[in-house]
Amino acid sequence: MSLEISYWAVIPEIVLSLAGIVIMLLAPIVEPESRGRLGYLAFIGTVLAGAATAPLWNKSMVAFNGMITVDNYGTFLRLIFILIAALSILLSVHFNRREEINHGEYFALILFATAGMSLMAAGTDLIIIFLGLEILSIATYVLAGFKRSDVKSNESSLKYFLLGSFSTAFLLYGIAFAYGATGSTNLQNIRQALGAATQGTRLLGPQTNTLLLLSLALLIAGFGFKVATVPFHIWTPDVYEGAPTPVTTFMAVGPKAAGFAAFLRLLLTAMPAYHWYWAGILWILAALTMTLGNVVALVQPNLKRMLAYSSIAHAGYILIGMAAGRELNASPILFYILAYTLMSVGAFAVVLTVSGKGDLRVNLDDYAGLGFQQPVLSFALSLCLLSLAGIPLTAGFMGKFYLFTTAVQAGYVGLVIIAALNSVVSVFYYVRPVIYMFMRESTSPAPEISVPVPVIITLIITTIGTLWLGIFPAGFIQLAKESLLALK
Amino acid sequence: MITTSHYLILSTIILTIGIVGVLTRRNVLIVLMSIELIFNAVNINLVAFSKQLQNTIGQVFVVFVITVAAAEAAVGLGIVIALFRNKEKINLDEIDLLKW
Amino acid sequence: MLHVMGIPILNLVCYVPLAGFFIILLLDRKSVTAIKWTANLVALLDFILSIPLILSFNNPSYTDPLTNFRYIIKVPWITSLGAQYYFGIDGISLLLIMLTTLLGFIAVLSSWTAIEHRVKEYYALLLLLQTGMLGTFMALDFFLFYVFWEIMLVPMYFLIGVWGSERRLYSAIKFFLYTLAGSVLMLLGILALYFDYGRQTGVYTFNVIELQRIGFPFGLQYWVFLAFFVGFAIKVPMFPFHTWLPDAHTDAPTAGSVILAGVLLKMGTYGFVRFGLPLLPDASRYFIGIGGKSFPWMMWLCIIGIIYGALVALMQKDWKRLVAYSSVSHLGFCMLGIFAATPVAVQGGVLQMINHGLSTGALFLLVGNVYERRHTRLISEYGGLSHIMPLYATIFLIMTLSSIGMPGLNGFIGEFMILQGTFSDPTLRIWSGVAVVGIVLGAAYMLWLFQRTMFGEVTNPKNELLDDLNFREAFCYVPLIILSFWIGLYPQTFLRYLDDPVNRVVSKVRGSDYFKLSIPVADATTSPTVAPGTVVADRPAPHR
Repeated sequence: MSLEISYWAVIPEIVLSLAGIVIMLLAPIVEPESRGRLGYLAFIGTVLAGAATAPLWNKSMVAFNGMITVDNYGTFLRLIFILIAALSILLSVHFNRREEINHGEYFALILFATAGMSLMAAGTDLIIIFLGLEILSIATYVLAGFKRSDVKSNESSLKYFLLGSFSTAFLLYGIAFAYGATGSTNLQNIRQALGAATQGTRLLGPQTNTLLLLSLALLIAGFGFKVATVPFHIWTPDVYEGAPTPVTTFMAVGPKAAGFAAFLRLLLTAMPAYHWYWAGILWILAALTMTLGNVVALVQPNLKRMLAYSSIAHAGYILIGMAAGRELNASPILFYILAYTLMSVGAFAVVLTVSGKGDLRVNLDDYAGLGFQQPVLSFALSLCLLSLAGIPLTAGFMGKFYLFTTAVQAGYVGLVIIAALNSVVSVFYYVRPVIYMFMRESTSPAPEISVPVPVIITLIITTIGTLWLGIFPAGFIQLAKESLLALK
Repeated sequence: MITTSHYLILSTIILTIGIVGVLTRRNVLIVLMSIELIFNAVNINLVAFSKQLQNTIGQVFVVFVITVAAAEAAVGLGIVIALFRNKEKINLDEIDLLKW
Repeated sequence: MLHVMGIPILNLVCYVPLAGFFIILLLDRKSVTAIKWTANLVALLDFILSIPLILSFNNPSYTDPLTNFRYIIKVPWITSLGAQYYFGIDGISLLLIMLTTLLGFIAVLSSWTAIEHRVKEYYALLLLLQTGMLGTFMALDFFLFYVFWEIMLVPMYFLIGVWGSERRLYSAIKFFLYTLAGSVLMLLGILALYFDYGRQTGVYTFNVIELQRIGFPFGLQYWVFLAFFVGFAIKVPMFPFHTWLPDAHTDAPTAGSVILAGVLLKMGTYGFVRFGLPLLPDASRYFIGIGGKSFPWMMWLCIIGIIYGALVALMQKDWKRLVAYSSVSHLGFCMLGIFAATPVAVQGGVLQMINHGLSTGALFLLVGNVYERRHTRLISEYGGLSHIMPLYATIFLIMTLSSIGMPGLNGFIGEFMILQGTFSDPTLRIWSGVAVVGIVLGAAYMLWLFQRTMFGEVTNPKNELLDDLNFREAFCYVPLIILSFWIGLYPQTFLRYLDDPVNRVVSKVRGSDYFKLSIPVADATTSPTVAPGTVVADRPAPHR
């Protein structure tokens, strides 16, 4: 074994971290009033990172002694993460000024968190996945509590931190057991050890088997916390509600997608031999997650909280794809993550613009009559919500359709029927803000809502993306398929 | 003769103490310490496995875990202090602005 | 393929309203007149553009000889899923498209004074709805069909929810959720067929023509029929699923009701003719009870719909609700004809879809006229209108008679063909007899409505000063009245487009032997086109 060190394999992380460090260094020098410009710097950082990542497409290499693998799966996800970071930064610039939390560290933390996510997507060793996860988590704990003077934000941060590190501990325990049973933390080596064991060349001892099953259960619990599946979801609504809205946006898509990325790679690369076990568990989790997410979202008057529960429901849909992941390729998951990113960020962008100073106007009643006062914002929100609900010609519909067809093909008909019924239920709460906006008259005088340019750019990207993925999905489906070839 | 099983049992005991601490104690600092306990239970496991399997991966991992745990503790205490400044309470039952 | 200005004709007809939608969005909110003119001109243009469809319908160069569909557009879309952008029409869709473009124009025209606030959004959505409906009738790819089917819901939902009357929010959401729930089940059915086709042939496609080529096992057909049934029956609406309709109709703005009754309901019946019966012939025979071997579920539901709808209509106090319930009854007739699956009955069913679009569309417009003047729909508020609004009363009379099936008007032809066609199948004969009760009840509620509103003394002083229809309002009815008489006096103009597609459907359901036993000429599998001029109504009843 030689130490192959190829810095090209971690070029996205390098660029992101460097940008973060530069911002940290500049933050004390820059005048407090112009610190918003650091946000644009961070945005440039993400653009550079994207430019550095794109050439990795169709390249495959194994670097750092098998710890990092560059493949299309990782590259596709890394690009999505960078997109998420870029959009969150755009949303933050004016928000931070409005909420007087205009500190440079904020943007650095988003960049570091993105570097962590990126590591999770590319890591093929449990150590790297764990480190990526921690880089991501620690940065997000701080971000959730970034509005330091606001008790809600503190509380959100504390809850996220406590449950987050609790779940990390479980994850670690699972990793330790996997290591104990197979003698390695490298995904490929684990796969070989398991494959050899299950094929009977070396009979799996009962102790080892128990150890592995325990490990699997703990890993599922650990990742379940990160991606917010029922019953590990309890932190989600509180944390989402309390955190500053751009951070909520980031958390609703970023860490979730990263969790799924690492989880999927772990299951498909290291544990296909245990598919029977994990598919069963994921089946139940998927059914529970989407049902609970949708049902509870029905009664939420707070839009941020509603979107939090909706994100739980969407995690449930993605779990269907994971459960069905082995028989076919899991490419619908990647497509779905991209679609979910666009529509969810779009919805949050409107919410944080409407909410006004202090993040106060986030209840459904505040949206009454908005439709004809703010046609552009209302149109964007309606489109994103309809997409989340899965109305055709939107990304959400194509994502669900692709996901469900693949799952049916893999034989998960029951789960798909549950999911389809769930989609119908979800329509009810997704169209409710639309009703409020367009069909109710506002009771209070129309508030001043200014729509800053970066938010407009975000909305343009997300709405066009949502429509594009819904009308011309073929290209992206192809990309997602190519990405998944790498995991075989 | 102390075998790997003994270490695993020790680790399980510490893990249990940690979980019970997280679930039952309401003081944030004690919850934090309980989480640290679980991390250390993991460390014992990793080292024990490392010894049994005769490879160093486990020990390398332990170094990372210790580092990360330190960073987490620092951030966690920072968050607790921020909350304490605003609320002057660190009892979890009284942190109830959000619905939980 | 027929091109106009370099664009395939079907694309042009389908997307002209969409272009109008974008033009209106670009117009200034305050230039109301410009918006109204644009919408009217676009809708009129769309109708004019759809006329070449009927003129060159039998031109062999526009016809795909294999499938007998016209003006085909076939472009790959989502190749990895097997979905195509596949447009094409046959006689059934031709008539429905013509009806849609005509009613679309009338709906836009009728809104000139009815809509006063948020005019821009209203017209934009009306045009968007038009594109959705046209696409649904043109799509020959199941996925594409589903996309249009669903997308149509959104503008309709807004039309009811924003511009509707008192209980608009409730009605809009009810309409939306009902239809959506049905269509999700339909989607599951579509997927089942998609996968079974893939399993049998190794090719995954949503192409409806391809899917019709192979037979699906009965077990699958059984479940898919139920899924399709829920999806389509909610739209029709058939008896247990009809409850959204009176609410949606009552609270929708007039143009919305016209489109809803005239076109949207036809999507369900169209779905049965185009997809339900030909794709699932065995399950269809089973559920309809053809051959007398199984319980005739569908027949029962049709009959219940016809009689229940009529009885409830009889008791309505609300003028618009009465017309809405009459739709339940009339659509029951359409479904009876379609499910009877004899050539005459299916032709009658399809023709009755057109008739219902014309007459009920007109009736909703008429309600809208007085509602605009008086802002009430209670029948008891009116009375003696024939003295004050003679022109109005005349039109109302013609449309009432058309609706109840007066000979010489369109409704008679459709109902007669349905009854005669149903009667010609010995096992279904009895249903034809029962359905006659519906006609009697139909005459009862409509004539009673006419009597209560038009005849007698003017008791309510508020009615004394009502204006009769102005030119624009009256003009809306001209095409509807002409077509009612045309279909009533010489239906052959329209029926000849239905021969071939209907025979194909029937031969799918009953097997191609059915035609060999009755009249060899019309065997759909060997000679796709029936000689023009065959008088369909005279065809002898087949004996099996």
